Amino acid sequence: MKTLVIIPAKNEAAKIGEVVSGVMAQGFEVAVIDDGSSDDTGVVAKHAGAKVLHHIINRGQGASVKTGIKYGLENGYEAMVFFDADGQMRADEINKVLEPVSSGSCEVALGSRNLGVAIDMPRVTRMVKKLALIFTLLTSRLKLTDTHNGFQAWSAGALRQINLVQDRYAYASELLHEISRLKLRYMEVPVTIIYTQYSKKKGQSIFNAFNILWDLIFKK
Amino acid sequence: MLIQIILIVAIAVMIIRLIVNLRSSKINVGYFALWLIIWLVAILFIWFPGISSYLADTVGVGRGVDLIVYVAIIAGFYLQFKLLMRIEKMEKDITKITRQLAIKDIDSADKK
Repeated sequence: MKTLVIIPAKNEAAKIGEVVSGVMAQGFEVAVIDDGSSDDTGVVAKHAGAKVLHHIINRGQGASVKTGIKYGLENGYEAMVFFDADGQMRADEINKVLEPVSSGSCEVALGSRNLGVAIDMPRVTRMVKKLALIFTLLTSRLKLTDTHNGFQAWSAGALRQINLVQDRYAYASELLHEISRLKLRYMEVPVTIIYTQYSKKKGQSIFNAFNILWDLIFKK
Repeated sequence: MLIQIILIVAIAVMIIRLIVNLRSSKINVGYFALWLIIWLVAILFIWFPGISSYLADTVGVGRGVDLIVYVAIIAGFYLQFKLLMRIEKMEKDITKITRQLAIKDIDSADKK
């Protein structure tokens, strides 16, 4: 199955090379969306062998993922995997996440750190994630063990149907919403999420949850 | 009263600016007419405070000035909402352009 691994990245020059090489070592094609970085993210990613889609100005993670999806669909990829640029995810687990989609047993596979292992997850993060689970259950009626896990695999058919309008982080909720709206067959797959010093520093602030909520309510 | 003079002078300045903008085609005639009417009505209300008092009395608000403040606040919120929507749309459009550029760039790079 022709698969594209989509990695949105903003100012990740320090880590992106390693991440891209890791994914390519698993035999996948990689598209890095350089989202208006002020460092050498694009150059480093390209050097490591990724296709680099360059946003000339920063448009947010949601917008970046959508750029990757559009590129993938236009170029005949049959499945896409969403992957993080900061080294939180393990490239050797891509095959595991992709498997249910490539075997056709579902259209979307969602990584779950609660079925899997979360290494050193900060306690506040844990709490906000719990709230997000409840929020997801209420708004999209998806019963998940982990929401907003960026590690996902989608079939091209499913991606072609979804409609994403959120440019920033709220796209994660939107993806779940689309799964529910279109009644896509989905499955959760246990994954390992590694909370390193680097990823904690690069990650979003807990307070961003409020911004996301705002986006979801007012930007429909 | 002095306040009437001050307000009318201020509005006169606005109207002059409006005319300048129309002349330099920064705004179209429809937009010009809309604002001209708004300002002329404002002058009317300022010169004859009795009008607003009468209207306020009719709808059950204590003073004419209060009525004007209420209406102005609602109009302000409406305008703000409209602007917010327009900015939102522009943001989306910018994203689309950025995306299109990114894909165009990589496609032309692929061909090389």
